[in-house]
Amino acid sequence: MSLPRSLFFAASAFGLIGLNVSAHAAVAPQDLVAPITDYKLYVLDNLEQFTAHSREFTEAIKAGELAKAQSLYAPTRVYYERIEPIAELFADLDASIDAREDDYENGVQDADFTGFHRLEYGLFKQESTDGMAPFAERLMSDVEDLEQRVQELTFPPEKVVGGAAALMEEVAATKVSGEEDRYSRTDLWDFQGNVDGAKKIFELVKPLAAQEDPAFVERIEQNFSSMEATLSHYYVEEGNVASGFVTYDKVSDADRRALVGPVTVLAEELSTLRGLLGLN
Amino acid sequence: MSEHDDLSFGCPFARLNRRRFLQGLGVASLGAAAAGLSGPAVASQQSGEAEVTDAPTSAVTEQSHPFHGAHQQGITTPRPAVGMLVAFDVLAPGRAGLERLLRTLTERIAFLTSGGTYEQRDQRFPPVDSGILGPTIAPDALTITLSVGESLFDGRFGLAAAKPRHLQRMTSFSNDALDAARCHGDLSLQFCANTEGTTIHALRDIIKNTPGLLMVRWKQEGTVPVMAPHADGSTESARNYLGFRDGTANPQADNRKLMQRVVWVDDANGEPRWAEGGSYQAVRIIRNFVERWDRTPLQEQQAIFGRQRQSGAPLSGGVEHDEPQYSGDPKGEITALDSHIRLANPRTAESQRNLILRRPFNYSNGVEANGQLDMGLLFIAYQADLDAGFITVQKRLDGEPLEEYIKPVGGGYFFTLPGIEEGDFLGSSMLAAS
Repeated sequence: MSLPRSLFFAASAFGLIGLNVSAHAAVAPQDLVAPITDYKLYVLDNLEQFTAHSREFTEAIKAGELAKAQSLYAPTRVYYERIEPIAELFADLDASIDAREDDYENGVQDADFTGFHRLEYGLFKQESTDGMAPFAERLMSDVEDLEQRVQELTFPPEKVVGGAAALMEEVAATKVSGEEDRYSRTDLWDFQGNVDGAKKIFELVKPLAAQEDPAFVERIEQNFSSMEATLSHYYVEEGNVASGFVTYDKVSDADRRALVGPVTVLAEELSTLRGLLGLN
Repeated sequence: MSEHDDLSFGCPFARLNRRRFLQGLGVASLGAAAAGLSGPAVASQQSGEAEVTDAPTSAVTEQSHPFHGAHQQGITTPRPAVGMLVAFDVLAPGRAGLERLLRTLTERIAFLTSGGTYEQRDQRFPPVDSGILGPTIAPDALTITLSVGESLFDGRFGLAAAKPRHLQRMTSFSNDALDAARCHGDLSLQFCANTEGTTIHALRDIIKNTPGLLMVRWKQEGTVPVMAPHADGSTESARNYLGFRDGTANPQADNRKLMQRVVWVDDANGEPRWAEGGSYQAVRIIRNFVERWDRTPLQEQQAIFGRQRQSGAPLSGGVEHDEPQYSGDPKGEITALDSHIRLANPRTAESQRNLILRRPFNYSNGVEANGQLDMGLLFIAYQADLDAGFITVQKRLDGEPLEEYIKPVGGGYFFTLPGIEEGDFLGSSMLAAS
């Protein structure tokens, strides 16, 4: 079944495997070259920022500057949250950078538990940088490793396009419930990061998707808008996303529900994006 | 695997059974129908060729209940072996969104409860359903019953003027330890079927088809022990996880006049006209402390309930369905005055107003931190008047000796929407009335 992609298109052009040809297969593979290239630039740009912010964050921890480290935690993570579809391709690094204590049988005490959320526990729960330096160093080396690996990576189109839905699944599974950043309560930063990342992918392929199904594009845009409108209630400074977000416990039950609706619609709609663009 | 599924669909007995069922043989045929379920062990003895992982077969997958009519299905319908109550928050924006939700639910319920074949999509898209029952689904006696909670009538949808008279938010009774995460909801769906695969498939279908409209708030699944049919065709009430028969004193669901009085709302009692043909649904998740119960002497268990455990007969004598006699026992020497059945239904002329139709399932969820089993009763009851029904009965039960062994932890009150005719959608009369 797994014909190489070029062969698949050649074969379907000659009607050899007509049954498998999508009703929406009007998008040619070369149409995706530009969006994928743009996306790689977006990812590399975010990675560069991520590395720089991670350096500042981990240096503050090593210097024992608790308040500074706390304030840098969320703004650093945002870059990672945006590019998760690519970062997650390296499962070993994703685990050591971004796993949560729930991923380990022995929770916080587990010897394998490292990365942002281990530092979050130290900085926000224990309110101390004591003993955090080794975790900070490990995080920094993992981040540098990630940057290196992504630079060498050929971006698979189905992973990029599928990444929009994957990011919304992240939001649906761990952001809405407020379990991602349980000690720092900075979940909304991550939430916005995932949304930014999903929206970027969608924007890049939007012209192609619009050729196939304009109503689909309209529904997606509506739901992004309504989600961002709700998120905007929680900027630290009114109307200024760059000012960051208040803590997740400030989000009203009504607004949590108002977020779940568009998140679920976007997860459901974006799950059809690969099919719509004829990707296998 | 799929060939095996097809074989069981094509089973001539299944079709025969469906016809019998539709002819309304009711409870008696249900007993026989439920007994049509068989495990893989039985199947292997019969065929001699079954593989370890073959699906267990059932002769009753074609049973179905009519969706259209004056009342919704799943209330006076004989209770099958599996039930699930799911409460939702409505996310649908505004009235137009609510109408879209109600139309979608109606369409999905009509399809799921009658069965059919799913459209097969291009493989590059997610499939249209979960596929857990294969490409063609059988009805399997599935009923889905839609009810609305008090919170649906707040400011969001402009429904305040249409609220049924007795619909209210459940409040705590004296023995309750309510868990907010398992209480209330804008809407409830009661799923009942012969097998769990069918109820779970139906729930996943509905979730898949209502993104942005519904959010699951809580869910409780339950079962009823399946029995072999009695040789003489007689039936008995199913048992709860305390080992006692539950529902013996239920009003007879095939007595239409009685159901009209006990279960169905009419507009005579100050109810809005649109609500006619609906019913009030009371749901309670009642934890049973089964280890402690199992360490309690039988005579004490029986005194607490007011019935014999083995036969279900009242302590005043006779057999299961004989009426308990309290007139010669004013001091409660035979049936304790605070026994469960005597408090719940004192059998006076006055207490005839408080009858309810019970339709419970037993649940088993896991293990508590203390190593004790988390199990109990998913209590579901229907009545024409919530205050005169469940609320009055529960108030009489407050303080009963059984409380030492039970702890209500969740639930809610809902109004089950009236039934509809073909072409209409559930809740249309409610929307039109406000």
